[in-house]
Amino acid sequence: MGKETSSISSGRAELLPVLKRELSKNGCLSKEVMSGVAEQTGLPLNEVYGVSTFYTYLPVSKTGKNVIRVCGSVPCDLKDAQAVIGSIQKELGIAPGQATADGKFSFELASCIGACDQAPAMMINDQLYGNLTPERIVEILKSY
Amino acid sequence: MDNVNINIDGRKIKAREGATIMEVAEANEIKIPTLCHIKGQLPTGACRICVVEVAGSRTLVGSCHTPVSGGMVIYTNSPKVVAARRVIVELMLTAHTGDCVNDTNAEDCVLHNLASDYEVGAPRFNVKAPRYYPAEDSNPYVRRDLSKCILCRKCIRACSDIAGKNILSIAYRGFRSKVVMGFDEPLDSEECRDCGVCIEYCPTRALSAPVKV
Repeated sequence: MGKETSSISSGRAELLPVLKRELSKNGCLSKEVMSGVAEQTGLPLNEVYGVSTFYTYLPVSKTGKNVIRVCGSVPCDLKDAQAVIGSIQKELGIAPGQATADGKFSFELASCIGACDQAPAMMINDQLYGNLTPERIVEILKSY
Repeated sequence: MDNVNINIDGRKIKAREGATIMEVAEANEIKIPTLCHIKGQLPTGACRICVVEVAGSRTLVGSCHTPVSGGMVIYTNSPKVVAARRVIVELMLTAHTGDCVNDTNAEDCVLHNLASDYEVGAPRFNVKAPRYYPAEDSNPYVRRDLSKCILCRKCIRACSDIAGKNILSIAYRGFRSKVVMGFDEPLDSEECRDCGVCIEYCPTRALSAPVKV
């Protein structure tokens, strides 16, 4: 029991770094990738899947070339993140959880992205955009 | 370990230092409700229904995971505790959308009994998309109705710590959180078989013995 417990905890300790590495290598954490990670870390598949699906930044299915993540947490919601979501939807014709047909954008809601001071905020790939208005959304999306 | 003197609900009690408030209360026949704690296992502190008031503490504390210390004055049933428990039950009922009306064993649901004990009526919270999952009858060892699941994590602990299998985890986040097997698959695989240990730990009948036809 003791030995098993310690291998589970060391697997847990290395899980996030391994997932991050595999993500940058493969673009998303497909079932094959997660199975490999489970084998490598000695953790059960369900745990690898559980951790991956907890984090917005660990996509388990193929994303678009550019990933739009609109903050869906309370401060952004209070500053009308719904209008941001609505204008992205209008502009690209896709709802959160979907990707454009040409694969250029995928769109999802994220948990707090730590930019409450600039609410409503979103990220496209690694770039943060704050104080969003429907007008700015159009401009920003055009720049991609 | 040394014994310490504490006070629970006005009773002077000698307790083993390091024991949890819940353990000491139980040993002294003071009943504290719990949905997520498995006696003898490490506490998870997930359900919060066991909160009690400790004099001098800014917040209510979970009694399943808070150890007693010398001089502690504890109230297990104060108005503040009862008010908190009522909201906790109400919140859980909001996401507990199973078809209990037709469940002839609904009296086995600890959450329902708590709602009745604490006189909690229909939850006042509006939910955009009710948390609903179809019931699964495909596994011959366990029937699963995740709409009734309150995410107490007891089945996960029972599977890993008691059955030694470790095939259940929590996946997703927030309101979408869910107990899953593998890549969120139906329970009918080779991995989940010949067991059913989790059933007796489920407080809400989200897991139950399959109906024999």
